Amino acid sequence: MKKLRQFIAEILGVIGRLFADDSAKSTMIVGILIYSVLYPQPYVGEVLRDVPVVVIDQDNSTASRTLVREIDVTDLVDVTMSAPDMETARDAFYRRDVYGIFVIPAGFEADILASRPAPVAAYSDGSYLLIYSNVMRAVATVAGTMGAQVNYARLTALGVDDGVARTMLSPVAVTNVAVFNPQGGYASYVIPAAFVLILQQTLLMGIGLLHAGRRPPTGQRLWATITAYFTLYMVWVAFTQMLIPYLYGIPRTGDLATLLLISVPFICACIAMGFAIAMAIPWREGVVFLLVVIGMPLFFLSGISWPVEMIPDHLRSLSLLVPSSTAISAFVAVDQMGASARDVASAIETQLVLVVVYSALAVALSRLPRNRR
Amino acid sequence: MTPSHLPPGFRRIWRRELRQIATRPSLAFTLVPLPLILFLMLAVIFAPGLPRDLPVAVVDLDGSTMSRQIVRMADAAADVEVVEQLASLSEARQALVAQRAYAVLMIPAGLEHDILLGQRPEVVVFSNSQFLTAGGIVGRSLSTTVSTFSSGVSLRLLEAQGVGSDRALDLITPIPVQQSPLFNPSLDYIQFLLSAIMPTVMQIFICATAVLSFSREHHSPNGMPRLQRIALSPTRAILGKLLPYTLVGTFVLLLGDVLLFNVFDASFRGNVFVFFLNGLVFILTCQAMGALIALIAKDTTGALGMMGLIVAPSFGFAGVSFPRFGMTLFSQIWGAIIPLTPYLQLRTDQTLRGAPLEYSLPTMGWLFAQLLIFSALLWVMTRKTMAQTPVSENTISDTQESTS
Repeated sequence: MKKLRQFIAEILGVIGRLFADDSAKSTMIVGILIYSVLYPQPYVGEVLRDVPVVVIDQDNSTASRTLVREIDVTDLVDVTMSAPDMETARDAFYRRDVYGIFVIPAGFEADILASRPAPVAAYSDGSYLLIYSNVMRAVATVAGTMGAQVNYARLTALGVDDGVARTMLSPVAVTNVAVFNPQGGYASYVIPAAFVLILQQTLLMGIGLLHAGRRPPTGQRLWATITAYFTLYMVWVAFTQMLIPYLYGIPRTGDLATLLLISVPFICACIAMGFAIAMAIPWREGVVFLLVVIGMPLFFLSGISWPVEMIPDHLRSLSLLVPSSTAISAFVAVDQMGASARDVASAIETQLVLVVVYSALAVALSRLPRNRR
Repeated sequence: MTPSHLPPGFRRIWRRELRQIATRPSLAFTLVPLPLILFLMLAVIFAPGLPRDLPVAVVDLDGSTMSRQIVRMADAAADVEVVEQLASLSEARQALVAQRAYAVLMIPAGLEHDILLGQRPEVVVFSNSQFLTAGGIVGRSLSTTVSTFSSGVSLRLLEAQGVGSDRALDLITPIPVQQSPLFNPSLDYIQFLLSAIMPTVMQIFICATAVLSFSREHHSPNGMPRLQRIALSPTRAILGKLLPYTLVGTFVLLLGDVLLFNVFDASFRGNVFVFFLNGLVFILTCQAMGALIALIAKDTTGALGMMGLIVAPSFGFAGVSFPRFGMTLFSQIWGAIIPLTPYLQLRTDQTLRGAPLEYSLPTMGWLFAQLLIFSALLWVMTRKTMAQTPVSENTISDTQESTS
């Protein structure tokens, strides 16, 4: 009992020293709080709506005006101007007043009435994929619906039976169901993943700030230090994986037990790696510098925004040395997709292997004469 | 302080800074090799340009000639590869959750039978939108495949009704949409993402080296007053300390661009001079911002942390992935004060878009305004800190006074 009380006192001492160190405090406490407010800001709109587009209506008929109106009505784009010619439209485009150009050539209505194909054209910015996809989806959907109406009228005029006309034009129906993130929200996609990386980076940085270039703790002090960081970061896991999604209205389906099964080994792996880095780089500023610059490349190795299948095998294998490379998608699977422990078993294994590897490395490095001073 | 033959001034500071780099191998490593290693790593990640052969699963409850044809067509598409045939939807769900597949193509039982009877069977594509990029690509690809299949059936049905095949084609798509991606015709991720990520990583390096350079003075005892003695003026101190990194940063940024435009053949349709000027002003602005942070923060690690908070989320605010016009007012303003935002906008103008120069002038003005503001603040802070009376001498005289 006395031993336990002593151990708890030791843990509180570690937390106290963490709070007394301005840099460590601003990284491991204040930094995460600021990030939780600042980082999601660009994405809180979730879905891109009302992309401004310009219309060049060279037909100016009832049919063309209907088409323009229908496009304007969609959530995806907003027809903000109409231009007489391509030159004016291009000017607005270069000035970034609009991000899409929609052209209805002269003779559009006449073609429809004469039962000829009545082509239209849509141009958008291929350098911004989200914008491009919005513009094209709007035009394709509206042209498709209007085309189906035209066709249906034609076939029934030919004397084809109502139901037969419908099945003839589209004999198979296709439905695309987006699962796990039904509205395709950007915040839902990026925030749960990014905060796993933020936890890892701040934990590695904090341990670097508190221990790099210093004599490592030993014995009971070492275990108290590890317990203190672990406890603090389990609180952060709960904060970033449960409270933040709630605050930003991001749907969450995961259960607590599975979240613990992935987060415990993940935080342990980060602590072990943190000590290994602190023992390897005796220069506090160096540790912070390295971790700040590799944050973004690490995100692209996680498979969230760029499919992991596209990363060459060597680089993928190498990236497994960093806990986030497997943990991010495992956290996302558990929290956003309701994965069970079995589904993320390989990620959990990887974390456990990393705990062993980095603990051994940290112990070995701590034997260096440099770290024993 | 090491004695120097040079008189105080710009050249003395410049040479002193170079010597400081030369005597710190880890600092030298972070100047050129480290950014290049990260550039190469990013280049390797995005080298395919477009995701191909992404894994999808199929639940074919029909098992007919037609359903097998749909599966074959799906597999033949460049961006999709059918990796699993599953028996039920629950197995399919498991494949999605375990990330063995980004989407599931579900073909209902009786598909062929229903088509022949004209009962419009429904094929469902379940795509994992938690992985927005991959899920979106495979979802679109599978839907297109089914639509193509449907059009083929439609064509045969119309021909069976005695409609000529040319005429039948016209009937299926009465309003064809000619979709043209301007500037990035293949919707390549190298042009879209890699080209923006490299400068973002570079921004962190440039800010961080400026932070370290100024922190070495500001966060060592009497560093700033010493700078006053050997530089004589804030302008000379700033230029002498930062220009070595400007040259190195420009060189590394250019190497990244050479990789991008020569090895990856990213399109460059703008003005080389404006592009280069944009890079230079960007680097200077980042340096001014980094040095300013070093003079505000209490210590070196605090300065690096503060810098990290500002530059690390800047990619999101710059509006490459989620556009700025869709953001809240706060995000638009925050993005507007970060050098990356105008730099990337102008970079897109002068590489992909090939925009005539006059359209880039406002963005150029925006970046110059940032440079002006950050350098003015830096100059004021440098002058202020350089003019401080040396602390230790003060304390010494204080104690002397108290003892006397």
